[in-house]
Formats: sequence, C-alpha cells, structure tokens
Amino acid sequence: MIETERDSGPVVWVSIIAVTCLLLLAFQKILFLVVPFLLALILYYILYPTVQRLVLAGMSRAAAASVVTLAFLALLVACGYLMLPWITLHLMDWQMAVENYVQGGMSLLGRSLTELEDRYGMLQRAHLAATVGQRLNEFTGGLAEQHVAPILIGLAGWTPSLLLAPFLSFFILKDGQYFQSFLARAVPNAFFEKTLYLMSEVDQAARAYFLGLMKLTILDTLTLGIGLWLLGMTAPMGLGLLAAVLAWVPFVGSILGGVVVVLVAATDFPNQPAMAAWVVALFIFVRLLDDFVYMPLTIGKSLHMHPLIAVLMIFIGGAVAGILGLMLALPLLGVVMVVGKTVGAIVTDSRLMARYWHGRALRSAQASADL
Amino acid sequence: MFGLFPSKKETPRTERLRALSLFVNLTPRELKIVDGLLHERQFLKDEVIFDKGDEGQAIYIIIDGCVWILPQGKAGDGQTIELGPGTFFGDLALLDNSVRSAQARAATTTTLAVFFRADFMGLLETHGLIASKISLQLARHIGRRLRESHNVATGGQHL
Repeated sequence: MIETERDSGPVVWVSIIAVTCLLLLAFQKILFLVVPFLLALILYYILYPTVQRLVLAGMSRAAAASVVTLAFLALLVACGYLMLPWITLHLMDWQMAVENYVQGGMSLLGRSLTELEDRYGMLQRAHLAATVGQRLNEFTGGLAEQHVAPILIGLAGWTPSLLLAPFLSFFILKDGQYFQSFLARAVPNAFFEKTLYLMSEVDQAARAYFLGLMKLTILDTLTLGIGLWLLGMTAPMGLGLLAAVLAWVPFVGSILGGVVVVLVAATDFPNQPAMAAWVVALFIFVRLLDDFVYMPLTIGKSLHMHPLIAVLMIFIGGAVAGILGLMLALPLLGVVMVVGKTVGAIVTDSRLMARYWHGRALRSAQASADL
Repeated sequence: MFGLFPSKKETPRTERLRALSLFVNLTPRELKIVDGLLHERQFLKDEVIFDKGDEGQAIYIIIDGCVWILPQGKAGDGQTIELGPGTFFGDLALLDNSVRSAQARAATTTTLAVFFRADFMGLLETHGLIASKISLQLARHIGRRLRESHNVATGGQHL
C-alpha cells in the first residue's frame, strides 16, 4: 500500500476530496442514521476485545456478542436508574446555573472592559464597556429559557435514534466477519488480494482513530481535571470531561470548552479575575500538549495525512456540513483516502486490469462452450 | 445448550483443512475459528492466481483442483511445479509482505481457501495459541523446503 501512496496523482486526490465532500453532504441528509451508526462503530471497537476474549474462552461469536452487548446495556440501564433521580432533582438548578454562569461571564467581561477604559482614554470616549454590555444583554436576555429547554427537547427527540447504536454494534460484533467475506465474494479474482488488504486497512484506520479518540479524551480529561483541581475549581473532572468531549469537534469544540470553563471560573470566583486568566492559560497549555504530545501518540498515528490537507479538509467539511462536517471530515477522509488510493492503484495497474479481462474472457468462454 | 458454545461437529471443508500439515495440531474448536477466517475462491483453468513480483498478502490452500507454480512466469520451461489438493503455496506472505517469487496459475478449475496475512496477524493477538501452532508448522514446512533445496544444491549432504 505504501507503493500505491507514491502512485496516487492529482486526479486521484481531487477525486478523494470530492467524494469526501459528497459523502459529508449525503450524511447531513441522513443524520438520524449516521449518528447512531457512528456511535455503534465506536462501541464496536470498545467492546470488540472483550468479545474476542470470550471467543477465545470457547464461546461462539454470536453468544459472546450477545453477552457483551447485554452486559453493556445492563450497565447503561443501571447508570440511568442511579442517575435519573439526581438528574430530575437538578434539572431546574441547571437552568438557573446556565443563567448564573452567563451572568458571571458577562460581569467578568464588563470588569475587564472597564479596566481597559480606565487605562485607555480613547476606549472610554467610545463607551466600549457600555456598548458591549448592552449588545450582550440583548443577545443573552432569557438565554436559558430560549436555548436550554429546546436543547433538552432535542436530546429527548434523538433518544430513539441513539438507542439504535447498541443494536447496530451487536450486529457488527456478531456478523462483521461474515459481512467482510460477503463483500469479498463480489470482488473479481484479479483484485482480490488488493481488496482484502484495503478492507483490513480501512478497519485498522477506523479502529486506531476511534480508540485513539477515546484515549485522547481520557488524557485530556485527566490533564484538565488535575489542572482545574490545582486551581481550586469546583467539579474539576466533570468540567475536564465536558471540555474533552467538546474537543471532538475540531477548533470550535476546544474554544467552546474553554469558554464554558472560563464562565464557571468567573462565576465561582467573581472577585478573582486572575482565576479566569489562569484557566485560559491552562487551556492553552493543554491545547499545546494535545497538538504536540497527545495527538501524535493517539489519533495522529491512525491518519497518515499531510497536516495541510487535514486542516483544509476540516474547513471544507465545516463549510459543507456544519458541525457534523467538522467532526467527520478527518475520519471520513481517512477512509476515502485508503479506498481512493487502492482503486486508483488497481485501475492504473495495466497488468491487474489485463488479468481481470483474461479472467472474464475465460469465464465467458466456459459459459458459452456448448452454445 | 442455548447455543452458547459452538458445535464441535466438523464440516467437509474443516475435515479437509485438518488433513493439511499447516493445521494438523489444531483442535476442532481452533480449526473452526481458523475456518471462519478463510475466503473461498474459484479459479478457472489457466487463470492467474498471482504474478511473480506481486506484493504477497495471503497464503493459498488448494481445496480442489491443481495449481502450477511457474518461477519464470510461463509453463513448459522445465521448472514448473504442480501442486494438488491438500497442499498450500504463497506461504511466505504470512510472514512478511515480500514480493511473490513465482507466478501461480490454475492448472485445472480450482477451488482455493485463502488465508489473509492481516487475519493471521489478528490471530496472533487474539488467539496466540492457534497462531503459534500454525507458525510452528509453517516454520517446519519452510525448514523442510530449505533442507530439500540445500540437498539438491550440495548433492545430498545434510544441512
């Protein structure tokens, strides 16, 4: 495959990027199916090692897949059962908390702008603090009522679709191997070895990406959690996890995570503006750690692509399919890249094509022998 | 009971696989796991299975029919080796992705079981015992072939 990488020309690359964009557009239309399928894939790669262990212990694949999926569902139900009373109890508090945190953030911004005005007369003459404060008040007035409830209703609407994920992952765990054989049967003999290699490459790339993403989330949560705990923030691990999960959306997610934690810092420590600055510094430090240490150790290894192409693709993905595009651009490009390069290598390999036509001619001759 | 544990009953293909030196040490359950990883392919007489110089990705086991191994890439040059049912070829591909040293071509209509290297590598991680049994047999097979070629080169002296 490394050889085929060298062979891929501009036509193949343009096709790869075009197909990725088309797929992102199509995925946007069938979001209700893409999200559970994506979650099912993540779940599959997480549960797969346990299924393999049970198969090794002598259990059939179907039974192992059933046992592991049922155990996961039981865990999910148990967590839901334990969490539900707590969630219902705190639902109203959360709505209040969102307003509090937004107010806290606005107070911090107001104080910072007033300090700036005190220092620079030009800003005072422009009434910067008053103008920004008025505009923000117009924007955030009744934010919680306007946005929190619709978000919660939206999440509830997604529940049936999300419940599909464990069932999909069960069937991938149980029949994934047969599905691969089934697909391989449709491939002509001449391309068989290359196609098998392609399937295993796609599988390995997806496995490495999703498991890498999980590892990255754990590392980010721990680093941010420990940093926030050292700063004396409340619920440091929860905030760390929230920011790490938001970081799944490239660029925008990291900024959003940072903003949420800064809002919490500004509200919990209203008289210590330095705290917000420390939180921002921590986020920048974790971001750098992510880019230079964690990413290369986890996700970086799975997607062998040029950083320029990766960044461009994220922007294109965002423009074509919004947040979904931002999230899916890289994994999808990774898969399309492997498929595109292999197809390109097969189509441009005149010997393979000659073998394919020779095989077809033999089959045609055999079929028409007694005609 | 409840289909929790797989049946140990062998299919005709697993019976054939059992006769193969590569899988001779596997238990019926282990053989069934390996059987699940194999792909069955049919080649017509004279169809090329792989070319000399191709990157090897899989080992081929002859279930039915005959295969020519052509070191020079064409039949009738005196170096052609004919392999029959129960034998295997392209075995070095299980170890690395080195290029094929000869062309393989179906001598008759042939059914092959294909064992892909990535599946073998997966087996090494998930079913180490099965993979080590296959590796040992593979090492014996390669050793035997090395001894044979050495004997031919040195006129019968032991290696």
